[in-house]
Parts: sequence; structure tokens; C-alpha cells
Amino acid sequence: MLAELGFIATFLAFVAALYAAGIALYSVRRRDERLLLSARNAALATLPLLSVSLGALLIALLTEQYQIAYVWNVTDPNTPTFYRVTALWGAQAGSLLFWSGIMSAFAFGTIALNWQAQRRLMPYVIVYTMLILASFLALSLFFENPFERYWIMPDNSVAKSVFAFGGAVPPAAARLAETANGLNPLLRHFGMIVHPPLLYMGFVGFLIPFAFAMAALASGDLSTNWIRATRRWTLLAWLSLSLGLVLGGRWAYDVLGWGGWWGWDPVENAAFLPWLLGTAFLHSVMIQEKRGMLKVWNMFLILGTFSAVIFGTFATRSGLVDSVHSFARSAIGFPLFFFWFSISAISLGMLLWRWRRGELRDERRLHGLLSRESLFVLNNIVFVMLFIAVFWGSFGAPIFSELFMGTTITLGKDYFLQVTPPLFLALFILMGIAPLSAWSATTLVRLGRALIVPALLAALVVALLALMQPTEPLVLLIYGVIALSGTVALWETVRGAAARHKTLGEQWHTALMALVARNRRRYGGYLIHLSIAVLGIGALGSELYQQETQRTLAVGQSLKLGGYVMRYDGFLGGQIADDGRIMDIAQVTVLRDGREIAQLRPRRDFYPNAEGMNTMTIPAAHSTLENDFYVLLVDWEPISAGSATFKVFINPLINLIWWGSLLLVFGTLIGMYPDERVALAAAGAAQPSRLAGVKA
Amino acid sequence: MTELPMTHDVLTERAPAKRSVNFITVLAALILASMALIFGLGLRHQQQTQPTEGMAPLFTLQTLDGQEIALEALRGQVVVINFWASWCGPCRDEAAELEAAWQQYKDKDVIFLGIAYTDTERNAQAYLKEFGITYPNGLDYKTKISAQYRITGVPETFIVDRQGHISEFVMTPLKRVQLSAMIERALAKGTQP
Amino acid sequence: MNRLLKIGVMLLCLAIALSAVTLSAFAQDDPRRPVTDDEVNAVSKKLYCPVCENITLDTCGTLACAQWREEVRILLSEGKTPEQVIENFVMRFGDRVVGTPADPTLRALALITPWLLSALVLLATGAVFLRWRKERPAAAPSAPEAKAATSVRTFAEYRARIEADLAARR
Repeated sequence: MLAELGFIATFLAFVAALYAAGIALYSVRRRDERLLLSARNAALATLPLLSVSLGALLIALLTEQYQIAYVWNVTDPNTPTFYRVTALWGAQAGSLLFWSGIMSAFAFGTIALNWQAQRRLMPYVIVYTMLILASFLALSLFFENPFERYWIMPDNSVAKSVFAFGGAVPPAAARLAETANGLNPLLRHFGMIVHPPLLYMGFVGFLIPFAFAMAALASGDLSTNWIRATRRWTLLAWLSLSLGLVLGGRWAYDVLGWGGWWGWDPVENAAFLPWLLGTAFLHSVMIQEKRGMLKVWNMFLILGTFSAVIFGTFATRSGLVDSVHSFARSAIGFPLFFFWFSISAISLGMLLWRWRRGELRDERRLHGLLSRESLFVLNNIVFVMLFIAVFWGSFGAPIFSELFMGTTITLGKDYFLQVTPPLFLALFILMGIAPLSAWSATTLVRLGRALIVPALLAALVVALLALMQPTEPLVLLIYGVIALSGTVALWETVRGAAARHKTLGEQWHTALMALVARNRRRYGGYLIHLSIAVLGIGALGSELYQQETQRTLAVGQSLKLGGYVMRYDGFLGGQIADDGRIMDIAQVTVLRDGREIAQLRPRRDFYPNAEGMNTMTIPAAHSTLENDFYVLLVDWEPISAGSATFKVFINPLINLIWWGSLLLVFGTLIGMYPDERVALAAAGAAQPSRLAGVKA
Repeated sequence: MTELPMTHDVLTERAPAKRSVNFITVLAALILASMALIFGLGLRHQQQTQPTEGMAPLFTLQTLDGQEIALEALRGQVVVINFWASWCGPCRDEAAELEAAWQQYKDKDVIFLGIAYTDTERNAQAYLKEFGITYPNGLDYKTKISAQYRITGVPETFIVDRQGHISEFVMTPLKRVQLSAMIERALAKGTQP
Repeated sequence: MNRLLKIGVMLLCLAIALSAVTLSAFAQDDPRRPVTDDEVNAVSKKLYCPVCENITLDTCGTLACAQWREEVRILLSEGKTPEQVIENFVMRFGDRVVGTPADPTLRALALITPWLLSALVLLATGAVFLRWRKERPAAAPSAPEAKAATSVRTFAEYRARIEADLAARR
């Protein structure tokens, strides 16, 4: 019953989405309000319908309905409840449906919240969001259906379908249960509950500004309305995507056992590409809002961002390139490819159409080279160059060489770390200067004067870093540039609070809070810049100065690395955990300068029921702000009291990455929070929102 | 709602230069088209599976005893091409079966070729010695041959008939009986044009 | 007596010299020096085994990768430098085993193309920017005098433009 319920709910959602899109378009031509409201209701209805179908699948997972092929594929009787829930997005079919669910939630939100303020754009917003939702639902219904069940046919063959037919009989429950696959051991990590949902929220979230941009192109309302309406949606999508990426890195750090957090794997890059364009978009829309410039460019950017989202999902799910993250190959490749191509072609076509008609005209021109507009344009260019470099390395070059030169090549970390660092450095330099430059014009002198205090603060940071770890002068300079981008943001905030303190006599903390409250966008943005600077220092330090060693030890022996000593104390073998896995635990003690500073327990987990990869090495780390002392057992060598092979890393400054990302969340939330509205003095200002649009 | 005040700049400007709009249009269309071409072709290439019919891709194998065997030169014989590796468990299961089948057919216009995938000479030789394999085996230099046959793992076996067409392809470890049947089928085909 | 001693010492030296020669021949038969895990890992970090998808040789747990690491160890113990070991692997298994292709054409394709494309982007932006700056001087000189005199005219133009736009939309 659950399978039928889920399938029918999904199918109804598909029909509702198509209906909503069609009727909304029709209602514009006929100028019929009732038709539009009908379309709106159909669009809103997709959320409850998809909640039902996702709920049905979730219940099937929790109640172990192994006849449903998806449940059989991702769980087994030993799977703990936590992972049963996360199995909802654990494999292709479920994650596609989950993606559609999130999409309908975002569409619901924007239709409900933006309806009054953007009446002219909403019909087209419905058209685009519902058409894209319908496409993804079509993929779920016709290619990767999570509700298909196993049946035994009269001729004893096994068939897969949602509904029974032709004398089909359900297979024996016990047999199904004992052969069930279970979740891939690599996915059994806390990150599984947050990383995919956040990533999907990030990807899907960019649908909203995209749909509004397309609505602007379709309706002809090419002012900044579409940008103002979607600013918070864009920030939400950006935040989710950033967090999703960082959490993915944390997960890799915790379980993949190579001591790093970003492997430049094609699937990781597929998620990074929309982030690059999305960040560029976030910045350049500010120019359109403040100066009415770059209208065409912003359109290109948001189209590019969403196109990158669809391309990313196409590349990941079709198995286009080799990756640790690959989903199993399926028939979904070509449909996704055509979908990506259609979206990109149609949106590009509409943009060019409007542009040729002269309807996307800039209201001002670029003046000073050092003005904020110019620096933002430079920032965009660097992001585009990064996009090209990462895209070429992950997808362009490998496919090009395989098709036209007949050789398979691998472009790994070495390629990316040769091509991207200068561009990242350029970004940090811009981050340091742009907040200090003014709109329209800035002189070099003025900029220089404003940089004095932040530069001193940055030098302080650099001195601190140099004390912690011997560093080459060039690297210190780069640290300085990165730190500068953060201290500029910090200093601007402090200066603003100081001004309030001096002139209004407020206490420091009141001054700070009032300052931020009056312009949350700016100060939220400054906090985000600070967090990126912190993240940058952490990434650079852990990348350049990582130390590692591998030794085989018997109990009682020690190894040395970078001023630390690690002693193998004891071995606990064959410990059985709740979910049936067998753990071999090594107990080690970490000493520094003769003092014991940590007791760590790296272990190897063995999953007796899993197919294929059935062991995982779980590292243990002693984390401080200075570094991580990170130990893991090499699980393809014997592990016992007599001998165990340890791989030990010292990752300097790596915890700055996680702390920096926390700051990032905080900063984005501040930036998203609505500013206090200045009370309108005039009477009859009772309904400002309808006419004036949502205040940014 | 358009922003006011409109500046003097805008009122005196013309529509965007037609030339640059056209240029960008052509450029954008070119970029999209070339991306579609590359990734469409790339996807199709990725989705191709092992060849199961048509001419068997030609190659030259350097055997571990120093011989050079060209597939083309083996026209007129049935060729059994087996991809294996010393680190592959299922390959070990079928090794004895393959050698037994070879002993049965070696004087009957049939030749067996073993191709070691991403293997080192040391380990390959040890494997061959362990199972007493006597038919020609070679390393897949630069993994070219496995790329030509688009294998997705090991073991995989291709039967090539006397005219050089691929007669059959199997992805699982073989039993001697099964292999004999496949060879007989290929031999029977030989008499037809 | 002294002469005998001298002959004895010479014979002894000769015997030692000869045995050194023969013993060194034995030494060459087994030249392996102990190679640490760290040295193997340093080379393995730069290699990619085709069996594992996109992970480096030092982190891959399959038997194929274990064999490859053993091969790296043996090659290092024979006295090869890390670069020679990597070259050896590329020669045997192709360009896909390294993170940037060794073959010069492929290497250029991989590394230079993004810079080429980026250069095009920069050129395009530069061209647009220059065009904008060219248009600006035409407007600027006329602005100060024109503004006062043409404020009335400007409004009329503005209105005419709106009428034209509205007409175009019907």
C-alpha cells in the first residue's frame, strides 16, 4: 500500500505541476485572475503531495518493507534507525525524489511569501518553477522510480514494478530481508543527515532567483524588482550550499582517511561550480541595486549558476566522470543531458531576445577604475576565471582528451593547485580593497589611508602565525593578504561602532548592535568576509605545512612526528557494536615535550553484511586551534597487539576551517535578517508593502 | 517601476551597439553548442559497453616470453581473449578452467590469449606459474587494449571467430563446459562466408 | 724473515682485494636497501591507480593498489629516484596514472587551456570597459552647461520616450 500511495502522490504532483505551469501561462494571455489563482493553488498543492510520497517512502524504510526495491537496496535488518532515515536520500532514486520535494517546498515558500509584492512576475515564476519541478518528477516517475517493488512471476523470474500484474506474487519477506544490501559503509556517518539535504537546498534554492530572472525576461519587468524579491532566497541558497560544501569536507576528513578535506574530485567540483557563480551573482546584484548597472551581466550570471546546478546534477548522476561519489550508472544520463541543454538554450534565448530589443539598458556607466563597481566587476571576472579553471579540470579536459585524443587522463589535486591559487589570491586582495572603496570613484591615496590600520592588524596576525610555525617569507606575505581581507572587515565594523560611541555616547556593545541593526546587509557581509579570511588561513596552513608519517608499531613502541611522540598502548579487538559491526580499536597516547596530552582510539570497523567495501578506518584526532594530531589505522595491513600500522598527520590550523564556517553561518543569518523599517511619518501609510515592494 | 531620477547619460545614449549584441549572441550560441556537443558525445562514449558484435578491435600483444602477437595475424583461427589480473579473486576461480579448455582445443585451430590488466610483470608471472598456464599471456601496455574493448572489470572474455568478428562476450568467470560450448559455436561459424 | 713478511702482507692484501671484488659482486645481486613507508607514500601520493576511481595510490585499499605500492617499494629499493619511479609507471600504464599528464601535448591541453580561455574573458571585459570609457567623455563636457539649459527639454524628451515605449508594448 505504501508503494501505491507514494507513486500515486508523486504522479498527482507531476500532473499538478504541469497544470500549474500551463494554466499560469494561459492566464497571462487571457488576463484571467481566476485561472491564475487556480494555477497558484495547483502549484501550492505539490508540496503536500510530495510530502505524502516522501513520507510513504520514509515509512517504508522505517518499517523495513524490503519488497520495495529501493528499501532493499539501501537498508538491511541491521541498519540503525538513524541511517534508515538518511537512507531516504542514500541512493539515486530516493535522492531524486527528495530533491523534487525540496524544490516544491521552495516554490511553495516563494509563491506564498512573494505573491503580493511581485504580482506582475508571479505568473511566470509559477510557470518556470513548475516546469522544472515537473521535469524532475518525470525523471523520478519514468526513469528512477523509488516505489518499484520486486515480484516473482509465474515463470519464476524476478520483475520490478510498482503495481502487480500478470500473476505476480511478492517474494518471501524473510528471503528479502536476509539478502538486503544495506547502506554503503562510507555513508554511515553523522554527516549523512546534513550534507545531502544542505547541498540540495543550495542547488534547488538557486531555482528561485533563476525563476524570477526568467519571469522578468518573460514579463518585461526588467527593473531590479526580481533581484529585490529574491535576495533572501539567494542568500539562503548560498548559505546552504556553502555549508553543504564545508560539511562534505568535514565528512571526507573524518572517514576517507587521507588526512585532507577537499580532494578536487569531479563531484565535489560539480557542487563548487555553482557556488563560484552564485557568489559572483551575490556581489554583482548589489551593483544593479545601487547603481542600475550590469543588468545583462546579472542575467547571464544567474542563468549560468542555475545551468551549472543542472549540469552538476547531470554529471554526478550519469556517471560522466570517474569519482568516489558516483551513483550507479543508470538510464538517467541522456534525459538529464537534454534537460540541461533545453534549460540553458531557452533561458539564453530569452535573455538575448530582450537584450536585442534594447530592454536591458544600464542606467549608469563605469567611472573610476578603483570605484566599488569596477572592483566588483573584477571580482566577477576572477570568479569566472576560477569557474573556467575548475570546469576544465574536472570535465572539459578529461572528456576532450578521451574523445578527441584517445587517451584517458586524470586531472587531480596537482592540476587544481597549480591553476587556482593565483585566482584565490586575487579574490582575497579584492576582498581587502573593495569594502574600502566608494561607489563611483576612489583615489589611490584615499584607499591607502584606509588600509593603514587593517594592514597593521594583519601584520599582527602574521606575526602570530610565524611564531606558531616556521614559515617562508612568501607564505607569510600570502597569509598577510588573506588576513588583511578579514581585518579590513573587522576594522570597518569597529570604526562604525566607534563613531556611534563617540557621537551618540552609546556603550560599545549597544553601539555595535545598533550599527549592525541599521545595516545588517553590510555588517553581515563583513562578518562573512572575516569568516572567509579565517577559512582561507586554515586551508592554506593545513595544505602547505601538513606533516605525515606511516609506521608499523607493536604495543609499547612509539613514533615521532613534528615534536610529538605517539605511543601504541593497547589493542581491543573484536568489539561488537549495536549495529553488528566488528571494531578493532587501538589505544594510543600522544605526548609533547614529555607530557601526555591525549589518549586516542583510532579503530577499524568491519561490516560483515556489506558487499564490496566492508571495512572502514575511523581516525581519532586531538584538535586544537594550532593543529590536529590525526591518527588512523591502515586497514589493509594486519592490526593486532603484535603489530599495527599507523598513519599519522599533523594538520596545522585546520580547525580554523570549521570555526570559520560557523562564523559564516552567523554572518549570513545577520545579512538575511530584515532591517528595521524606518517608521513612515505620513498618515495613510498603512499599506506600504503592496505598492513599494518588499524592502531589501 | 523604473528608478528616478534618470541621468543625463541615459537620455543621450543610443540602443546597445548592434554589433556587440550580435557578437555576444554568436559567441554564446557557439559556447553552448560546443558544450552540448562535447558532453553529449562524452556521455555517449561513457555509456558504450563492451563490443559484442562486429570486427574485433585489432591490437598487438607483447607476451611475457617476449613474443609479439598481432590479432590480425590470427585470422582463420578462433581466438579466446581473456582479460585477467593477479589481484582479481574471480580470475583465480576460472584460471584452471581456462587452462584445461586450452589443453583441449590447442590443436584445433583455436588460440587463447590472456591479457593482464594493470598488473606488474612480477605478479603476473607468479600467477601464471601458480596455475600452470601455458597459453600466451601479455601485459596490457598503457591499458590500451582494455580501453579498446571497453572492459569494466576483470575477468572478461571475448570469443573472436575465424573472420575476426566478435562472436561472444562473457562478463563472469567461466566454467570449462560453458567455454567449450562457446568455442564450438565459434568454430561452427567458421565454415560460413 | 722481513722479506717473507713483506710477501705475506702483499699476498694478504691481494687476497683481501680479490675477495672484495667477488663479495661486491654478491652485493649487487641483492642491492635492496630498506625503504620506509613514508618514502613509498611520498611517491604513491602522486599516482592514481585505475582500479580505484580518482583516489591516490597511498589511500586506496584494494589488492591491486597494494601490489602497486609493493612495486613502488621495490623500484625505490633498487635505487630509483621518485621521479624515475613515476616515469616507469607512466611508461607502463599510461598518462592516467598521474595527476597532470606527462605527455607534453596533453599537459599543454590541460594546463594552458584555462589560462587561454581566461585571457579571452579578460580581453572581452577590457574591450567593453574601453568602449564605455570612450562614450563617457562625449557626455561629460556637455553635461554641466547642458544640464541647466536643457532641464525642461530633458523632461519633454523623457515624456516622449515613455510614450514611445508604451506604444511599442501594444
